[in-house]
Amino acid sequence: MNAIEIRGLSKRFGNKQAVDGLNMTVPEGAIYGFIGENGSGKSTTEKMICGLLHPASGSIQLYGKDHTDDAIRSQIGVLIEAPGCFPNVSVWNNMLLQAANLEIKHPEEEIAKVLKTVRMEGAASNKFKHCSLGMKQRIGIAMALLGHPRLLVLDEPINGLDADGMRIMREILTDITQKGNCTVLISSHILGELEKIATHYGIIRHGQMIREMTAQELEADCPTYIALRAGDGTGAKSYLEERYHRVAQEENGTLRIYDATRPEEVVSFLYEKGVTVSEVWTAKISLEEYYIDLMESRRAQA
Amino acid sequence: MQTVLAPDFASPTLRQRMKSMLGVDFYRLFHTPMFYIFLAIAALIPAMVSSMGMMAEPGGTAAALFTNAWNIVAADTPLYVVHDIGEYANMNMVFIFGGIMVSIFIGHDYRSGYVKQLFTTHSHKSDYMLSKSLVCAFAMACMCGTYLLGGIAGGLFSGMAFHARVFPLLFAILGKVVMSLGWASLYTFLNVILRRQFGVSITSSFVLGTGIPIIGAAALVGNSPLLNVFLYGSSVNACLSSTIVTLLTCTLVSVVWAVIYNALGTLILARSDVY
Repeated sequence: MNAIEIRGLSKRFGNKQAVDGLNMTVPEGAIYGFIGENGSGKSTTEKMICGLLHPASGSIQLYGKDHTDDAIRSQIGVLIEAPGCFPNVSVWNNMLLQAANLEIKHPEEEIAKVLKTVRMEGAASNKFKHCSLGMKQRIGIAMALLGHPRLLVLDEPINGLDADGMRIMREILTDITQKGNCTVLISSHILGELEKIATHYGIIRHGQMIREMTAQELEADCPTYIALRAGDGTGAKSYLEERYHRVAQEENGTLRIYDATRPEEVVSFLYEKGVTVSEVWTAKISLEEYYIDLMESRRAQA
Repeated sequence: MQTVLAPDFASPTLRQRMKSMLGVDFYRLFHTPMFYIFLAIAALIPAMVSSMGMMAEPGGTAAALFTNAWNIVAADTPLYVVHDIGEYANMNMVFIFGGIMVSIFIGHDYRSGYVKQLFTTHSHKSDYMLSKSLVCAFAMACMCGTYLLGGIAGGLFSGMAFHARVFPLLFAILGKVVMSLGWASLYTFLNVILRRQFGVSITSSFVLGTGIPIIGAAALVGNSPLLNVFLYGSSVNACLSSTIVTLLTCTLVSVVWAVIYNALGTLILARSDVY
């Protein structure tokens, strides 16, 4: 069973085609990292999934039901951009209002629990307008967790979070997907954080899904390389290019050799050429690098 | 082969949905200072208008607007075309302040992003329209109550006479109170269609609340009972010569317009982007 299944989804705002025939499949229990440039259609897609925007065409199925179905709507937790709270009302009372909307049976217990989960129990009596950006994001996450949702839709939830907030977020999302039978759709530009938790990825560009893959597929797509720092970086690069086909140099001078497998072989080769290697290590292409390469290749094709 | 079944999620009933939404809206109404400010304004205005009688002295410049204190609640007869402020100044003014209050109340939903939280749950657009209409109608009915108290206090303070037959007066007051539902539905509808233009929604609520279109129509067609089919017409019709028929007419007109505005508002919300 797929938690989200989108086929041929489109949405236009005036002259701008925000989402253009998007297809997307989020399996149940996945943490689906939804990635794309600014204005690529991520938020618009998420708003359509949540029922805030009307699709021009296409279908959205959530757990096999149409996304407008009441039964499934009561199972969605949402944080789109920022939590929709009344600024002059306390955090606790804002949570109570949302608990009432969700018809939660024992709201006080549930609110106390989710606020504790996001380490915001101390801010319950604060007026929402007096909370910092990071606090507001945590409250938004707590609000999305109310009622034990089966699907969480989070748009840029880690914006404004400090390191501790990000760690808590990782723990929460991992925990609810593993124990809570929940599926998470999360968009973020902080790819380093996303890489730590996502089990699936979808990359969107100009409103179209350009790649969908599992974390394992990404791992297989991201090659391991040998990185090194040498005394004479420019000279080392030209020597390495004589022997290897895929050599690159980072801005800080670090050299990368993608088609070498053994670091000691590279080091001894440079030693023979009279180049001293100060550091050598093996590394893997990160999600961020993979994403940037993919976007650049798409731009070049365009 | 194992069949994968869709999880069996329960759909909340209309009763459950309305109970929670009305609970939230009433909570918000009672916890916003704006509601109490408008109740106070509704009480102060008739008290001030009545007190103008105090300034009327023989040979003085100011003239009393009324000699009968109950005229601050309703006119003696239905007058759709007003000739002076005295004919205009009655409980119908509540529907002008009420329009502004509804604009602020609904405007908060959109400016705070609360609708985003609401409409991502199982809440229906029709529930939203109905809940807002009922809660705002209740608020306006409360304003009618404080207006009445303010008017009586002003009349007593200025020493005006209280001349009215009990039942026509009662029918007039109840007639205006039941009109709150129709007015609240109109304002809810206006604020839903103008949800992205807060200033325009307040202005349009104010303009329609003053009854200018009906006053203009009455200037052309005269004091025709046909105007009673409109909200302002029926509100004017609830006067000190009201009968049970007037009250029933007011109830019918109010409910019919409430249904129309709720249906139109639901249709617009259902077909347009919420946030």
